Amino acid sequence: MEEKIWLAFAAALAVGLPSLATAWAQSRIGAAGAGTLAEKPELTGAIIIMVAIPETMVILGFVVAAMILLML
Amino acid sequence: MIIRMAKVEIVGPKQDLLSTLDLLHNRGIFQPDPQLTARVALTEDERLQTLVLDENELRERSFFQDLQERIIALLELLPEIDNGISPLQPLPVMTLLDELADQHLVTARDQTNILNECRRNAEALQHDLHFWEALEPLLKELPKSSSLELFGVTIRDSRQLQKLDTLLQERTQGRCYISSATTADGDLVGLIATDRKIAESLRETLTDERVPELSLPEELADLPLPQRITALQDRLKIQLGKCSQFEARLLEMSRRWRPIYRRAFAWLEERLALYRATATAYTTRLCFIIQGWMANDEVNRLIDDLNRAFAGRVVLEQQMILDEDLDQVPVMLRNPGYFAPFEIFSRLLPLPKYSSYDPTPLIGLFFPVLFGMILGDIGYGMILLLLAFFLARHFPSGTLFSNIGKVLGISALYTVVFGVLYGEFFGDLGETWLNLHPVWFDRGKAVVPMIVFSLTVGVAHILLGMTLGALAELRRHQPRKALLKLAMLVAVILAVLALVGWFYPQSWLSTGPLLIGIGILMPVLIAAEGLLAPLELLKTMGNIISYVRIMAIGFCSILLAMVANRLGGMTGDIMVGILVAGILHAFNLLLGVFAPTVHSLRLHYVEFFSKFLDLGGRRFEPWQKPHP
Repeated sequence: MEEKIWLAFAAALAVGLPSLATAWAQSRIGAAGAGTLAEKPELTGAIIIMVAIPETMVILGFVVAAMILLML
Repeated sequence: MIIRMAKVEIVGPKQDLLSTLDLLHNRGIFQPDPQLTARVALTEDERLQTLVLDENELRERSFFQDLQERIIALLELLPEIDNGISPLQPLPVMTLLDELADQHLVTARDQTNILNECRRNAEALQHDLHFWEALEPLLKELPKSSSLELFGVTIRDSRQLQKLDTLLQERTQGRCYISSATTADGDLVGLIATDRKIAESLRETLTDERVPELSLPEELADLPLPQRITALQDRLKIQLGKCSQFEARLLEMSRRWRPIYRRAFAWLEERLALYRATATAYTTRLCFIIQGWMANDEVNRLIDDLNRAFAGRVVLEQQMILDEDLDQVPVMLRNPGYFAPFEIFSRLLPLPKYSSYDPTPLIGLFFPVLFGMILGDIGYGMILLLLAFFLARHFPSGTLFSNIGKVLGISALYTVVFGVLYGEFFGDLGETWLNLHPVWFDRGKAVVPMIVFSLTVGVAHILLGMTLGALAELRRHQPRKALLKLAMLVAVILAVLALVGWFYPQSWLSTGPLLIGIGILMPVLIAAEGLLAPLELLKTMGNIISYVRIMAIGFCSILLAMVANRLGGMTGDIMVGILVAGILHAFNLLLGVFAPTVHSLRLHYVEFFSKFLDLGGRRFEPWQKPHP
């Protein structure tokens, strides 16, 4: 039972910490992107992609969390 | 794909320069590049120099510029009406047009000034009329007394009205009456009645409080209210009549002269564009030379056109594109039917260089596959197909939404295909209701196989990118760089095989020799590319791992779909269950369109294209007539 709690805690950390990091990075990119769009609306597509770039962190965190829960 | 370009040189006698430029403008297929001629090494006595206009040409250009400015000013004053453009040839009547433009400009300016004055007067009268019409019912409520003084005022809002009422009652010790109404314009107006003896002090109070009192022309001020309103209506009618009269005059002028001036403007713009274009030409004492770029398959047609127009006096010669020209070659992209809609994605990137690749066909090949791998659901795919069909049918071909429809349609087909492979129909609904089973594997349960599959896709995609990168270096005649890229490609293959051997030991796959192979390659790469070479290897491995998002986003999508089905089932009522599940599936579908699109594009832009695409090309911008 105790082992399961630790596994769940580890999985939560694996996805939670990268989520915070991603949120912080996206907030910075999003703010800069909004400023850019005010001057160059034609960059909308490129900025959507840029906002998506930090999502790699949370996606990898999610994969690690899934592996912790399903493989251990 | 990137259209093959030709470097061409056009040479002819100096007196044919303007006619040649005119022909090139009309054909719209040639982009001049004066830098090419500037790079040609010439001796002093060859006397190749940039073209300098003679005195007559300079005078003519200045005259045309001046006339064009006056015509622009005139066209701005004449009302816009869609009466086409005159077929008149302006050159023979240019002197007459010059005189007429002056006269018409003066007339149009005068008429416009009078019309504006009339409009201002009519607007003011309309405002007064609304004011007194709103006050009329209030006046009727007041007792008829000669000792009463009346003030009409405009009030900002109801709060100001309240404040004003309190203040006036205080100052006049209750000897005033204020009532309000709203005009047809929506303004709040007030009527203040007070004893004539204290009227002056009340007027001062209004001035102090900055409440504007409506003033009328003297001849109207003494009239009783009904006559006052009638008089205002009469005056307004006269002003509006005057406005219509001047509008009609300007309209008539516009109907008669606008097509002619529009034609003259277009001709002048073309003529002045030719003068500007002469700056790209080089001359000797007798000849001109223009160098530039055009599509390779148009060269023969242009040669024929020049021969027909100048009977062989002006000649075009195709030249070899040198290595140092490669960065200067302008880029024109043209993609056949299937790939054309995918240009909506490649347009988000800067233009590739001529020696690189057009990313559109690669996006067209791989984007729908990655989208299908991520979403992979028969039900969602069918809905997206319907949406794509609607977009493609409803919007004209070639427009943004039509292209989105086509891209969505292709991606939806792959979504259905992968849905069959994963056995998904609105998540696990297919399994529960239709006894649908995965042909390949159930990605909701087989997490590790899905991770391995995603990484395998990543390895294939990245290795293809690295191969294209090596080929691009060969096209740029850089065999050393091509060899280094191939060495890095081999190092990545060895590293991937070593990792496979580590996680899934096989008798035929020994990690030792593979690591030795990397150990041999690495010093070579470091010697050639510096200390960044090992980092490049790590970065490439990171790029491959990034493809694990195919599994992660797909896994989230199927979990959300399963949650929607479970929640729908838990309601205990068919209608409510369908509603709950429908809302959640709609939300999941929305995410299911957005997330796979963004992440598939990201895998292309960041991971795949960084291996071979050389961006920063110059767009092919041929000379064209300003008014086709």
